[in-house]
Amino acid sequence: MQQRLVATLGFVLGIGCCATAVAQISGPMSSGYKPSTAQAQPSTTQAPPVAGKDEKGLDVNKLFAGTCGWCHSNGGRTAGKGPQLMGTTLTDAEIASRIKNGKPGAMPAFGGTFSDDDIKAIIRYIRDLKES
Amino acid sequence: MKRSHLRHAVVAAAAALSLTTMAARAADVDTKRLLEADKHPADWLTYHGSYKSWHYSGLDQINATNVKNLKVAWTHATPRSTRGLQSFPLVVDGVLYYSGSFNQLFALDGATGNLIWAYKQKLNEDLVAKQTHSPYNRGIAIGFGNIYMGTLDGKLAAIDMKTGKLNWETKLVESEKLTVGFTGAPLLVKDKVIIGSQGGEWPYRGPIFGVDANSGKLAWTFFTVGGNDESDPARKTWGGDSWKTGGGGGWMAGGYDPKTNTVYWGTANPAPLYDWGGADWKTTGARPGDNLYTTSVLGLDPDTGKVKFFHQELPHDAWDFDSAVGEFVMLERGGKEYIVHANKGGFVFVYDRNLKVENVWQGVKNINFVKSIDPKTGELIGRRDMAEGKHEALCPYIAGGYSWNSGTYNPGTGLYYKVANEWCMDLEVVKTTPILEPMAQLNIGSNFTVNKTTPDGGKARGHVSAYDPFTGKVKWEVEYAQPPLASLLSTKGNLVFVPDARGWLHALDARTGKELWSHNDGQGHNGGIISYMAKGKQYIAVATGWGGLAGDDYKALWGEPWTSMPTDQGALVVFGL
Repeated sequence: MQQRLVATLGFVLGIGCCATAVAQISGPMSSGYKPSTAQAQPSTTQAPPVAGKDEKGLDVNKLFAGTCGWCHSNGGRTAGKGPQLMGTTLTDAEIASRIKNGKPGAMPAFGGTFSDDDIKAIIRYIRDLKES
Repeated sequence: MKRSHLRHAVVAAAAALSLTTMAARAADVDTKRLLEADKHPADWLTYHGSYKSWHYSGLDQINATNVKNLKVAWTHATPRSTRGLQSFPLVVDGVLYYSGSFNQLFALDGATGNLIWAYKQKLNEDLVAKQTHSPYNRGIAIGFGNIYMGTLDGKLAAIDMKTGKLNWETKLVESEKLTVGFTGAPLLVKDKVIIGSQGGEWPYRGPIFGVDANSGKLAWTFFTVGGNDESDPARKTWGGDSWKTGGGGGWMAGGYDPKTNTVYWGTANPAPLYDWGGADWKTTGARPGDNLYTTSVLGLDPDTGKVKFFHQELPHDAWDFDSAVGEFVMLERGGKEYIVHANKGGFVFVYDRNLKVENVWQGVKNINFVKSIDPKTGELIGRRDMAEGKHEALCPYIAGGYSWNSGTYNPGTGLYYKVANEWCMDLEVVKTTPILEPMAQLNIGSNFTVNKTTPDGGKARGHVSAYDPFTGKVKWEVEYAQPPLASLLSTKGNLVFVPDARGWLHALDARTGKELWSHNDGQGHNGGIISYMAKGKQYIAVATGWGGLAGDDYKALWGEPWTSMPTDQGALVVFGL
């Protein structure tokens, strides 16, 4: 994850290349709505479009709000599409295995995305969960 | 020749001719036949039934008088039905084709259910295991002798409809990097197969593709986030570099108007779903600006992929209420042509064929993401933009006031039947950063919880409503303790079929909503339903099998039977008199 900035730029440039490879598309006309083009200037408060962790490591709260919370509601405190994680009786090894390998039809496999240190941080987050 | 021998010879000759005709016709699903789909109700040729997207059958052998005698004719168990069976069958000349999870395809004799062929797409299963919105497939297109299917790993595949063999496949999306691929049905328009990628919460730019139906060669690409190049005015509606990871996509099949040669396609929401910019979304937050062409309806030239006109239903969608859901119902009234399109937020937009707003009506009762939408202009009034922090009772819930499955229009009653969902959520908006490496991940932007009650004092629930499609005036309404998640079907026999979440298939009187018949299919419905004719007999075919991103919430909301309901089984169940 440390090299994400470079990799991300490459990824984005790759998309740009694809876009230029297809037919040129001229500007559309809207019959029902005119967009305000002046409003969208670069924002000083916008988060950088790169992923990952800061110098303190993986921010698991953000990770849940971005990805895991789709199924594990309220940051893992409440059952949703997936089970409640707060108070889980699974062992650390079982949680790590589930994160890495997923569960068909229920949870994606994140083994290729998160390092062992990342997974340890996620497990710490789950163990520390309290009612909000 | 004896009379009996003569009769046998005639029968044999007729059968041979019939087979020849069937083979010839089966390879002959072309533009003309697709355009005239409504005139041939024995078939079901496109995901939405026809280019008019009525989900209506002109057959009336099964009708309000005799539906009480409806019984199971045959079933087909669908292997590997992870997350149930979410797809929509098609029927051509008595042969039924349908897709299942993991991009399986089946061709069955429509009268008997006998298997003609089965096809399994070779998938990158390691990739599929890493996907969230997977491994279901929601539908196929048919024509030029092919079955067209988008794959989980980003290909469009053409399978020979007679043999079940792969004719060609074209890689369109780098799913190994972007994680998502295709789950929605393609739409065949003239010589182009049009298909939209998954997108929404995925940090990409949600392309829609036009592919040559014969060769598989990519003809055009249209990026729903920011357009295709810097000259597109849409690019300026994204602050900074947010257009590079803006989500979008077009994950459900659109419609087509041959008179204007326009393909209508709904686009998905921007990412992250919830933008901490709050009321200052025009200048700050994750994606400052209107975020074109997300949460929009597009009028595309099918030959070039160029945008002819569009309407953004929710500028700067901050609630995940995309326009990818909602069929494009083509209607006519008073000599004028209209399109009726439901948005996930619970509003229904009425357009002319150039996507100029003619009316907007509210079909869901519990809505507070806006106070209203101006019925003359489509402008959002009283937006509820949520800054970083906690927010209570946002309505509807993220799964939508209207979900992705389709309603139905019945020309006999003039009514539009649609499932509406009454549910809400609490959420905490959190600043997130898109994860792109080593592969893209969801970018939601909040932690959320579904609520068991609604602000109107009721419980989370659903209803099937019969609306005037132009005004939203309700003719009748049937409430369900849990929202049905499957598509509806109406027929010339004055019937509306409602496949519900518990597993019951209901037949209602299209004129009154009175229940006339029901049958328990043993597991929830979360897919398509059609009617067709084979060997002179009308059938109703419904996809059964539970699971998926909306259905998985039912465990937390209502407990049993969903806690125990399998999410790895599916079957196509076919009914006849």
